[in-house]
Amino acid sequence: MLKRNTLLTSLLAGLAVVLAPALAHACAVCWTGDGDPTADAFNWSVLFLMATPYTVVGSIAGWLFYSYRRAAAKRSQGQATESPLHLAWSEKESGR
Amino acid sequence: MAQTSTAKRLDGTLVELEPKRPGFGGGDPPVRPNVTVGSNAWLAVWMFLGAEAMFFAGLIGAFLVFRLSATIWPPPFQPRLPVGVTGVNTVILLLSAFTMRRTLTCVRLANPGKAVRLLGLTAILGAVFLAVQGYEWLRLIQFGLTVSSSVYGGLFYTLIGFHALHVLAALIWLAVVFARAIKGRYSAQHHLGLQTCAMYWTFVVALWPALYGLVYLY
Repeated sequence: MLKRNTLLTSLLAGLAVVLAPALAHACAVCWTGDGDPTADAFNWSVLFLMATPYTVVGSIAGWLFYSYRRAAAKRSQGQATESPLHLAWSEKESGR
Repeated sequence: MAQTSTAKRLDGTLVELEPKRPGFGGGDPPVRPNVTVGSNAWLAVWMFLGAEAMFFAGLIGAFLVFRLSATIWPPPFQPRLPVGVTGVNTVILLLSAFTMRRTLTCVRLANPGKAVRLLGLTAILGAVFLAVQGYEWLRLIQFGLTVSSSVYGGLFYTLIGFHALHVLAALIWLAVVFARAIKGRYSAQHHLGLQTCAMYWTFVVALWPALYGLVYLY
């Protein structure tokens, strides 16, 4: 009997989620409509968080590219500096 | 060393193959410019700063959700933040970034005496920023703005508090670098410790105006 009640309750809860998501609070932001400040807030926050990784990685990659070009230009002018980081493959490391 | 070999055709005649070099595929080794752009530590600090930026982006994202969804901000019966004093404090912190960059320039131009003085000045400016922040926090707590008083308080202390922690960490790092600079450990050619510290300091300073604008002014 207990098992049957549990099953019935679960079924009703499942139906409530499917048929009335707003009432069941099935989704954290489903109860907000278009133009609602909370929905706008979530949208802007999601956009910001989505753009951040691209900005961060792009900035680092851009700076590395700029540094590489600058170092290459210096090297061609005979001003190469010694440093342990080699972005390019070197013959010594390859064993050739 | 070049090696020669032969191959047999289907009609049984032998043909000599082109000499091959040891390695994959033969031919000349690729010609690539062996250009160096920075040290491994320099690259590691860049990666670390990227992770730090992501961490603060998460906090700012949470702040935006609450700020943009609120119709009245700051919430009623909550103390107003000290915009003026913190504005002056912002200038002090920005000044410390300038002195830090000047320190690097002095080291690169082989002027260690001036570099040490500027490094000390940077540390003092950073300490002043932290002290003023701490004083303002104490006043805000007295006025009733605590972490648990409202979402406003919770967001303020989380966002600004984590930045203050970062400034404190940068200040400790700066103190270590300052002690090493006094001992003359940095030269025009070798000053990686100072350079990485300057990168972190610049990040912490550059982050602050964004947080100030978002939390205090917006």
